[in-house]
Amino acid sequence: MEKIKYIKPVISKINAGMPSKFGLPVKQKVISKIDGITVSALIEEYGSPLFVFSEKTIRGVFDEAKRAFETRYPKVQFAWSYKTNYLDAVCSIYHDEGSWAEVVSGFEFEKALSNGVNGSQILFNGPDKSKADLIMAIENNACIHIDHFDELYLLIETSRKLEKKARVAIRVNLDAGVYPIWDRFGFNYENGDAWNAINRIMLAENLELIGLHTHIGTYIMAQSAYAIAASKLANLYMAIHRKFDYWLKYIDLGGGFASKNTLKGAYMPGNETCPSFDEYAEAISNALISSEIPHENLPVLFLETGRALIDDAGYLLTTVVANKRLSGGRRSMVIDAGVNLLFTSFWYNLGVYPTKELGHAEETTIYGPLCMNIDVIRDAIVFPQVKTGEQLVIERVGAYNITQSMQFITYRPNVILIDNDGKTHLIRKKESLETFKNSEVNPKR
Amino acid sequence: MKITDEVRISDNGFIFNSKTGDSFNVNPTGLELTKLIAQGYDFDTIKNIFLQKYDLDDLTFEKDFYEFCALIKYHQITSQENPLDFK
Repeated sequence: MEKIKYIKPVISKINAGMPSKFGLPVKQKVISKIDGITVSALIEEYGSPLFVFSEKTIRGVFDEAKRAFETRYPKVQFAWSYKTNYLDAVCSIYHDEGSWAEVVSGFEFEKALSNGVNGSQILFNGPDKSKADLIMAIENNACIHIDHFDELYLLIETSRKLEKKARVAIRVNLDAGVYPIWDRFGFNYENGDAWNAINRIMLAENLELIGLHTHIGTYIMAQSAYAIAASKLANLYMAIHRKFDYWLKYIDLGGGFASKNTLKGAYMPGNETCPSFDEYAEAISNALISSEIPHENLPVLFLETGRALIDDAGYLLTTVVANKRLSGGRRSMVIDAGVNLLFTSFWYNLGVYPTKELGHAEETTIYGPLCMNIDVIRDAIVFPQVKTGEQLVIERVGAYNITQSMQFITYRPNVILIDNDGKTHLIRKKESLETFKNSEVNPKR
Repeated sequence: MKITDEVRISDNGFIFNSKTGDSFNVNPTGLELTKLIAQGYDFDTIKNIFLQKYDLDDLTFEKDFYEFCALIKYHQITSQENPLDFK
């Protein structure tokens, strides 16, 4: 007798009067391929977990952002935010697309130089620039964005000793209607600190003020905030011209554009609520063009957006380790990728998807493999029944997860890039015991 | 393990627990399993019935069986035995 196909026994409680808040049952999204390559083939070749970056998506999203700004404003220059993702292979794609480098430390500065970026095309941000960092920046003719008065005086002293001019901008913090104001970085616009700093710089022999910079925050969902910031920087720009008869070269609106990820606690998904590049571009360009700056003296608009450019291009492939029932009957699942690899899981409800259509879905908690109670990838997600060994895809993990991932308990995984031709490249090797042996020293006793 | 007296199981997969007021849906294999438990069969007997009828290995059945039992116990469809009575 032929046996019947087995289906796992399932019981579901009927909740009368409790329809889905969106009215209809959610259709389970499935991601079985990335840029035409099956997830199973990628895991078979490179192991699990595995970070995958898509060159096609990187270039596609960049084109979209560039087009949004360049069709609205005459002079636009992107600078790739190294801290968002400083894998050489990723940075090189942005540089190939014409991006400068935006760095926040001596390490990132060195990385940008090693990626072939001309020193004069590096924007050096951040509150911690050592004397050695400043010397490197001056020698390479970088644009140094001064964060505080101590740095300003250290820079004056350093440039005097070197007998070289430093090209500088100041970081301005301002009230753009986004709270809390990030006033720990830069000089305040409203209380006059920024204007004082500008005056001090204009009088310093070895400093050449070339720009104004601000960065109003991160994951900013209101494009109007950028319009306020742009207007305030335009006021400073004109004030400098009036007092010193001098035109700066650029205004840098920083980054902070929201990606399509959904913030924890958000009612609607991020891809439906976050402004598009067109909306950000419209707000910023209008504010600058309609300011009192004469059209022929409009500054170059610098943008340092990172998250919104790279998030969509990164995936984490993972494998189900175990299914468990918690003491209260709630379904849970353990996967082989933890929060040490997914820093953004602390503030996003990351999208986790199966690689094939599966059966009955139930509210599930997804845990990582770490022996830590905080290792929760998703608190509550309606997820189908999966067997151990089933492969899953976590999407939109391109920003910050590589740079903020932490080595803990086990080795960090391989990172690969799928190029425009659909060919895979290993762009960072999985760690091994040697990785640690090479940097550790055990004193002889 | 015993299905409580207040629970009624229909042939189309609807379960009602008059003690708690909760109702449930079970899929066909869930219904079959619940009925076999209600008839008082032990684990080994139910396993043999399933292995003969379905395209299934014993370990998968064992995992699914105990997960299902934990759920029906949580929903008070089976009577609560003393979990600390290690007989």
